[in-house]
Amino acid sequence: MNAARKGWLSSVALELWLPVLLVVIWWVASSQSTSVYFPPLSSILASFAQDWLEPAALVKNLFPSIQILSIGYSLALVSGIVVGTVLGLVAPLERATRPLLETLRAIPGVALLPIFIVLFGIDVEMKVLLIAFGSFWPVLLNTIDGVRGIEPLLLDGARVFRYGRIRRLTAIVLPGASPQIFAGARTALAISLIIMVVAETVGGSGGIGYFLLAAQRNFAINAMWGAILALGIFGYLLNIIFRIVERRVLRWHRLQQARLESHS
Amino acid sequence: MTKLDQSARVPSSSVRSARSANNRRGARLLAQLGVMAAAIVVWWCGSISLPEGVMPSPVATFGTLAQLATTPPFWTAVGETVWTFLAALVICTVVGVPVGLAIGSSRIATQSTRLVFDFLRTIPPIAILPLVLLIFGPTFEMALVVVVLGAIWPILIQSVYAARQGEPLLQEMSRSFRIPPLWFVARVFLPGALPFIMTGLRVGTTICLLLTITAELLSGAPGVGSEIADAKNFLDTPRMYAYVLVSALLGLLVNGAFWAGQRRVLRWHPSNRQENAA
Amino acid sequence: MTIATDDITLAARGLGHAYNGREVLSDIDFEVGRGEFVCIVGPSGVGKTTLLRCLAGLQRSTAGSVSLRGQEMTEPLPGVALVFQDYSRSLMPWASVARNVELPLRANGARRGEARAAALRALTLVGLDEIAAQMYPWQLSGGMQQRVAIARALAYQPTLLLMDEPFASVDAYTRADLEDLMLRLQRDLHLTVILVTHDIDEAVYLSDRVIALNGRPARVAEIVDVPLGADRDQVATKSTAEFAELRARVHGLIRGSREATS
Repeated sequence: MNAARKGWLSSVALELWLPVLLVVIWWVASSQSTSVYFPPLSSILASFAQDWLEPAALVKNLFPSIQILSIGYSLALVSGIVVGTVLGLVAPLERATRPLLETLRAIPGVALLPIFIVLFGIDVEMKVLLIAFGSFWPVLLNTIDGVRGIEPLLLDGARVFRYGRIRRLTAIVLPGASPQIFAGARTALAISLIIMVVAETVGGSGGIGYFLLAAQRNFAINAMWGAILALGIFGYLLNIIFRIVERRVLRWHRLQQARLESHS
Repeated sequence: MTKLDQSARVPSSSVRSARSANNRRGARLLAQLGVMAAAIVVWWCGSISLPEGVMPSPVATFGTLAQLATTPPFWTAVGETVWTFLAALVICTVVGVPVGLAIGSSRIATQSTRLVFDFLRTIPPIAILPLVLLIFGPTFEMALVVVVLGAIWPILIQSVYAARQGEPLLQEMSRSFRIPPLWFVARVFLPGALPFIMTGLRVGTTICLLLTITAELLSGAPGVGSEIADAKNFLDTPRMYAYVLVSALLGLLVNGAFWAGQRRVLRWHPSNRQENAA
Repeated sequence: MTIATDDITLAARGLGHAYNGREVLSDIDFEVGRGEFVCIVGPSGVGKTTLLRCLAGLQRSTAGSVSLRGQEMTEPLPGVALVFQDYSRSLMPWASVARNVELPLRANGARRGEARAAALRALTLVGLDEIAAQMYPWQLSGGMQQRVAIARALAYQPTLLLMDEPFASVDAYTRADLEDLMLRLQRDLHLTVILVTHDIDEAVYLSDRVIALNGRPARVAEIVDVPLGADRDQVATKSTAEFAELRARVHGLIRGSREATS
């Protein structure tokens, strides 16, 4: 086995040993458990497989969540980027609206749930809107920062070369702001997830949150733990997908940062 | 030239620029007030065009808020929220920062824990709320557990990152002057890591408040959040809106306090600097 | 030129260093006596910084040895002070100038009052007053920041002062000022200084002896005596025939390496 292969293997092992060990410890420590709230890992996994790995159950329990999450998140992304770009480019407008935006942002998304219920009911539309509203803010603020932080020389260059407004946007402004936008999008994803779970606890539209609440109501501890696990894995997978997309789109940025660091 | 002459020759350009700066500031303030006023007008329009009771008017909301502020239960609720928030923040900081720094100082530890932290931080604390609620009931302890389990991750993970950001030249300098390890950690390592730790604390603080109110809202643990839920259950929309406003105000306060504190502690940081070449 | 054994401050014997099997330094042999100002010159990339780090004890050479006053250097020994090229990164931006200068003293056991007094004295020696002492390093110009770094080394009262291309990051005018400062300090305080540089003019101007490195791996091409006397001046000294001769000689020694490796 050559040195490179060995290096790769050892770094994989280094990352895996602790998670594996923890799972094993959990399994062993809980196997004899009689505690109500901390059942054996084996029964949790059985519940998990039943509710989340079996195709029919997966569709029934997970798809509603995926649906509202994707629509709400996309709404937040698009509107956040659009409004953020406008505000980022028109500085007086941004300065004038800042106090209002800061106040609105400070409202915990979940605290708006009662208000949204009163306004929009308890169906899918309300949940999508609530997710969109909550995740809008990090995207907006980060887009503003990203657009404002673009190297002024690039914008000067655009003026000298007489770029049209649209070309300026697509060639300079959006790419230049994209690292920041992605940072905002990442935070927004985490917030969407939280709001999604909370929103699903009302009404009957299904989803992970609904399942979790139902499990709690029925005192089905195994199912509850299974749902926690499912939620964790779901969020983790979303993050991985996000990271893959980010890595692709921001390849130039990573390389540039690495270059800068090695020069200093 | 007498002294009087010289003082009379204050360059008019500096007076002009000072005046115009004040003008700009005044104009900006006016614009901001204008925007806020416009938002309140929009709110008012919404409140009268929607069916009765759905959305209280700004007047009703602020009026209710003012009235609530004179009653003890209001301040008890606010106090509960603030207390939970602070307790959680302290625990997260006292545990998260040192542990994070320690892990970050060892490459092996950092790589070993990466997957575990990555996974645990994506579990929304809401997920464990039902379980913790069953164990502790709708109490302060329950809220505390949920908030800590949710807010500790950014603080912890940023501290791990912070430990690796130290300026290597300062390490070399310390070695060459034979500075003992404890001195190095206290005088060189920690101050250098502080900016990054602050980033984690900033996110952690925001999440602490958010989660506190969320936990209260969903579980009924005492505090502003449960007041919101309570008001909704009694269909007392002015009261509900008033408490939502309170949560926003708390958020603004916490944010403002944090930024003020950060500016003080990181006086020397490039982001806060005014360079004067002497 | 041989130095009496009692007076040897630093001795490098057969010093060599290799990274991953690739030899960077080879067979470096020289001595520096007490009170001498020695410059190590060589083209960029020849391995001067590696050599300096071995001399400072920051890394162990893979061959040969370095000894400070007879004691072998396997790690940084007391009495060695280092001035880095990048002053902005070697000074702590969160501490005042005075705090930066007194840190090595306090860390090594000096009491607060003594350390502060020593720091202020050192700052005066490099031309910085009490007002500057209270400022943050980044509030000062580049030249002044480097003076702070020098003051930090001076306050330490070192047996040996090592400087790694200390004036490479400042403009020519400031460089001339700092060079003269070093000459003055070395003469007044009887310091033993080893200064690494790629600037041949600077090396000849400052030193009693120049150690010229060349080759790959780098070796000592020659150690050149610089008998220019104690009173040196940027204009007068640099326009003498002797200076030109010495400069040409060192230049030739270093250039030899470039032809060999290009």
